[in-house]
Amino acid sequence: MPISSRFLVVLACLAALSMLLGQYFIWFYAPEELTMGVVQKIFYLHLPLAWWAFMAFLGVFVASVMVLWTKNEKWDLWAGVLAEVGVLFCGLALVTGSIWGRASWNTWWTWDPRLSTTLVMWFVYAGYLLLRGAGVGGVKGATIRAVLGIVAFLDVPLVFLSARLWRSIHPTVFAAQGGGLEPEMWVTVWVNAVAWGVLFIVLAVARIHNQTLAHRIDYILARFRDTTLQHKE
Amino acid sequence: MIRSTLTIAGKDLRLAFAGGQGPVQAILLGLLLVFLFSLSAAPGDLFSSQQGMAIFWLCSSFAVVLIFSLLFRFEEENDTATALILSPAPIQSLWLGKTLAGAILLGLCQIFFFLAAVVFLSLDVQGSPALLLLMIVSVDVGLCVLGGLMGAMGHGQGAKDTLLTIILFPLQVPLLLGGIRIGTEVLYGALAVDVAQWFGLILAFDAVFSGAALFLFSHVFRGE
Repeated sequence: MPISSRFLVVLACLAALSMLLGQYFIWFYAPEELTMGVVQKIFYLHLPLAWWAFMAFLGVFVASVMVLWTKNEKWDLWAGVLAEVGVLFCGLALVTGSIWGRASWNTWWTWDPRLSTTLVMWFVYAGYLLLRGAGVGGVKGATIRAVLGIVAFLDVPLVFLSARLWRSIHPTVFAAQGGGLEPEMWVTVWVNAVAWGVLFIVLAVARIHNQTLAHRIDYILARFRDTTLQHKE
Repeated sequence: MIRSTLTIAGKDLRLAFAGGQGPVQAILLGLLLVFLFSLSAAPGDLFSSQQGMAIFWLCSSFAVVLIFSLLFRFEEENDTATALILSPAPIQSLWLGKTLAGAILLGLCQIFFFLAAVVFLSLDVQGSPALLLLMIVSVDVGLCVLGGLMGAMGHGQGAKDTLLTIILFPLQVPLLLGGIRIGTEVLYGALAVDVAQWFGLILAFDAVFSGAALFLFSHVFRGE
């Protein structure tokens, strides 16, 4: 069932408004952190991006399981779209994290479980997208991609554990005492998480819309070619 | 299932050595890598155990790709994939047999890689060789389990199968980190407390991916 363009416009407007609200909370509501100062505000982008990237990869896993279970290639389309948005958000989380790390730890990159896990996830899913684009699998492509989507997600906790065993300097957000965040900071985190979530949904729905139209055009072109050939014969 | 697994593994090993080539390509590539990395240190400088183990596992990781590409190419060259799928042997025994054959070939390659690392990188085992062997076997299981599944995915893809390495290498990260960390400590001869945790992680990897591969192999290695 194709999604209407009007619905997409409404969703996009909602995303823009929620992002503006998120920025208001970052700059005018949340207090400035005493040690890091204004640089800490990047955290309100970094954390939601990382969360939604993880949700996207979880979505790829679920859609991949559904491909094998139902044999319906609609789920393969969803897996591809979620991987695209996930890689985008994951890449942005890495960039914002690196800028934040430079300001607070005086280094662009360090060996840390969350950073390393995010980077490895980015590599895995960027590779997954490359394989999709290259058409690996041929006629059984959807199945191959589904298996890759499952295997990739199974690796995530193992990568995290291995990176944590190696060593860590990352701040813990979910500590027993709330990770040292003020209540206003938490409100700002949640407002921005919702805003990025709306943008996430808009991007995913827009890509599904694009892909559905692309498939329809391919189908029409193929029928046109067949009809032209029949006329020539 | 065990019988058919051993039959498949035996067939693959015989084919691998029948042409006189076996895992020669993987061994040569590994030796070349060890030699090239040895040039990264100034004459007289020593490599740390951690550097040595990292190079050893890098060679092993490349060898896995070449070995499983070879094992699945046999079915392509001889056009026997469909025959194997239609045979009464459980489909999982095909994966298990190929994984077993791959593990044996990888172990063979690693003998050469380790000797090369001793010669070119001056690695010295001060700890327990038995623990080192146990670690190598544990990591090899994970590498081959994943290699067998990826090999099946690359089957019949022509040149595109090399693209699968883009996803294979990052997936191997937990195993390789475990192999490097335990190997470093065994080479130093001073075992830290976290060795048991690393072994736990490696065994968890082996268990998770063995279970997944047993279930998923039938989906990827099937007739059109």
